[in-house]
Amino acid sequence: MSTPSLPPEDRGASATEPPDDELLAAELVLGVLGTAERRAAQARLESDPQFAARAVRWERRLAPWLAEFEPAAPPPLVWAQIRQRLGWRTEPPSAPGWWHSLVLWRAAAGVAAFAALALWLTRPPAPPRPSPPVVQAAGGEAAAAKPVTTLAHDDGTPGWLASVDRSRGTVLMVPVPSAPDAQGRVPELWIIAPGQSPRSLGQVSINKSHTVAVPPDARMALGPGSVLAITLEPASGIPHARPSGPVVAKGAIQT
Amino acid sequence: MSDVSGHNAAAASLEALMAQVALGNRAAFETLYRSTADKLFGICLRVMNQRAEAEEVLQEVFTTVWHKAAQFDAGKAGAMSWLGTLARNKCIDRLRTLPLRTAFGPLELAAEVADPGTSPAQQVEMLTEGARLARCLEELEPRRRSLIREAFFGGFTYEELATRVQAPLGSIKSWIRRGLLQLRACLEP
Repeated sequence: MSTPSLPPEDRGASATEPPDDELLAAELVLGVLGTAERRAAQARLESDPQFAARAVRWERRLAPWLAEFEPAAPPPLVWAQIRQRLGWRTEPPSAPGWWHSLVLWRAAAGVAAFAALALWLTRPPAPPRPSPPVVQAAGGEAAAAKPVTTLAHDDGTPGWLASVDRSRGTVLMVPVPSAPDAQGRVPELWIIAPGQSPRSLGQVSINKSHTVAVPPDARMALGPGSVLAITLEPASGIPHARPSGPVVAKGAIQT
Repeated sequence: MSDVSGHNAAAASLEALMAQVALGNRAAFETLYRSTADKLFGICLRVMNQRAEAEEVLQEVFTTVWHKAAQFDAGKAGAMSWLGTLARNKCIDRLRTLPLRTAFGPLELAAEVADPGTSPAQQVEMLTEGARLARCLEELEPRRRSLIREAFFGGFTYEELATRVQAPLGSIKSWIRRGLLQLRACLEP
């Protein structure tokens, strides 16, 4: 498009011309407008879809710059304040034991979130089923209803969620995305049947969900009473015969 | 989140979380907070340049996310871009309710010193687009370039920029507007 040569000050004179709208949208998105002008332009976003579309295009043009902002951790209180704003908490944040209950709440919430996420992730591309498709019209629900095992960190927050499918001998692992180990170790999943030594199920991801196939002779362990645990191990030699690194998350299997 | 190979998965899971939040899933909302609050707080902190204000805005950003997550359209923007744009917008709204910021030191628009350009981007979602924007920005006259960047990262108005640069308001407007149109022409030839 052409570059209109605008007089610097008096854009108002020809305020209805498209190039002016284009500039106004850009100025709104960039944020250079004064208070009153910004309000007026924001009001136009609501009433003028064309103008709103221009603004969205400008947002997209400038969005790559967002990558340059350095992350910074907000103080923990902010989360509590957000919950309060949303009316999710009734007791005052100064109540005794508040932190403790917040931690518990978060752990519980995290489990529910990832249960939901796990379901969401497992549903659309339903894994191929060996059984005849004709009688499987409503088969989706069966896959979606699997209980979720939480592999929690020591502080109770969830690290991974596991959905165990005994009949297929698979475990769907959904990680709560986390930073890679500073020493370069990788998470290795173990299954520990009651009274037995840990058996490696291989490496798991820290940021994407994937399905782990359990060797046929270890499938017996995929039941109640067994524990899934994750340790940090050297990447080479996985699956290891036995764990050597620290346990970073664990949970008793729910089936 | 920070490793490049896992980025697509992380982005996909952010989008899945947004979908859950739109459905009113509080637990998904908490997970979304835990995955994105640092980045969004970084935006607020830099634009507001004041901790207490930045914390206020961050609260506002997330309450808005809770109420408006349904407006997020994964087909139009990545979740991180959507959230970042929202955060920056909220910051600017907030700044406009505050007095003009005159406490900032004068801004030198060095004519030949190049801007740092884009840093090694951690948000790979924006990488290729970011390279294009950086390249197009390079083509701008340095004065226009630094004014536009200053406005983007510091949330300054024309008026504040004019004070800081100690140039007539009209010139500042004209430089920025020409720069923006030039940028658009370069990004969409």
